[in-house]
Amino acid sequence: MSREFIAQHQRARIIGALAEETFEQGYQQVTVADIVRRAGTARNTFYENFRSKEDCFLATQEFAMSAALERVVEAAGSLQSWPQRVRAGLAAFLSYVVEEPALARTCMVEALSAGPAAVEYYEKSQQAFVSLFRLGRDVSPHGADLPETLEEAIIGGVFWIVYQRLAAGEVSAIPELLAELVEFALTPYLGAEAARQVATGDADSPDESPGAEL
Amino acid sequence: MSDPANQSVESPEYPPELARLPPGRHGLPREFVSHNQRERLIAGLAEAVAEHGYAGTTIAHITRNAAVSRRTFYEHFASKDECFIAAYDTVMAELRKRVAEAFDQEEEWPRAVRAGIGAMLEFLATEPHLARLSMVEALVAGPVVVERYDAAIQSLVPYFAAGRDGLDDDVLAGLSPTTEEALVGGMVSLISRRIFADRTEELEALLPDLVEFTLTPYLGGAAAAKAARAA
Repeated sequence: MSREFIAQHQRARIIGALAEETFEQGYQQVTVADIVRRAGTARNTFYENFRSKEDCFLATQEFAMSAALERVVEAAGSLQSWPQRVRAGLAAFLSYVVEEPALARTCMVEALSAGPAAVEYYEKSQQAFVSLFRLGRDVSPHGADLPETLEEAIIGGVFWIVYQRLAAGEVSAIPELLAELVEFALTPYLGAEAARQVATGDADSPDESPGAEL
Repeated sequence: MSDPANQSVESPEYPPELARLPPGRHGLPREFVSHNQRERLIAGLAEAVAEHGYAGTTIAHITRNAAVSRRTFYEHFASKDECFIAAYDTVMAELRKRVAEAFDQEEEWPRAVRAGIGAMLEFLATEPHLARLSMVEALVAGPVVVERYDAAIQSLVPYFAAGRDGLDDDVLAGLSPTTEEALVGGMVSLISRRIFADRTEELEALLPDLVEFTLTPYLGGAAAAKAARAA
């Protein structure tokens, strides 16, 4: 194993440990000692990788947000119609949250009370999803007239709903949100009826999906 | 406190900035002084937080801004956290009052939503320090405040849920139970992002976008856009 591989691996273990500890006790209570104990690494190793607990928190956010975004792009990329891509992307996002509840809670709940840099990163990471939604303007019959801030508001709404479930510890309720969130996200672009068809899977055939017609 | 009428509040013994309410023999009822001190401490905290952020704010900053002693601070609050919670509750009570008043003044629901959102944006735009305290610093002030913040946001849900009244059954059937929660979350994220970036002057311009966004599920896109652009 190369030195680099080991270093990468250690970094990932520390990030995972921070998320687990944060999930269990809340970020404010977590100490570097807790993190290194959980990761099974030396304190020195922690400080070779991160300047501080805060620095490690930011790295955790970066790690989880890029992993989630990667999943979304991968799931959505193979589909032709934009509404179906939204549905697949949201499904991938929700399943990432359910598979990684500790990382998700760290990034979507604890981030908000982990200091200004963490809040700033949380805000910025939502913006990454904006460009994916913005493509909907091309398939919407009134795309040119939609409010400038629409995508920002939709993503804020989706995050808020997921955040509420995570904050309440209701991880198992998250997958059921898919249809509601798809409908919420698509309605401004396609209208309620067409959005509902995509949301409930009635428009599964790419040829019949509203986006394909437009 | 022998003869309140004969004692000047602006006693020359005190520097002008403290003359408003010097401690000791000013002849004001104790309760009034106490209430006034509490308000000054809350205002002092808001000022300190705007300048130093929640984490950087010390009790010395607060007492200096409020022009009271450290001892007075501890007569009112056990800690910085407790003072912050009092400040947060004060700001949110004011914000809630303004939104409710604006909303209640309108007969039709779409106009009431517009008025309520307008009142919220106006308050936050004209009080940037309080906006920051309630929407940005609240999130770093610990779990107790975060819980209050979540509850405050969720308390906006009924204003939107009122839009369900009188809708056709087929429209109603299409509204998922989380619609209002998503609308409120989306609206707040737009607002707080601008406050975070110190761009409170942009808040009031968000009104048409937010009205259209929040009315669309109930009225459809075209009617919502029309309501958003109506003066």
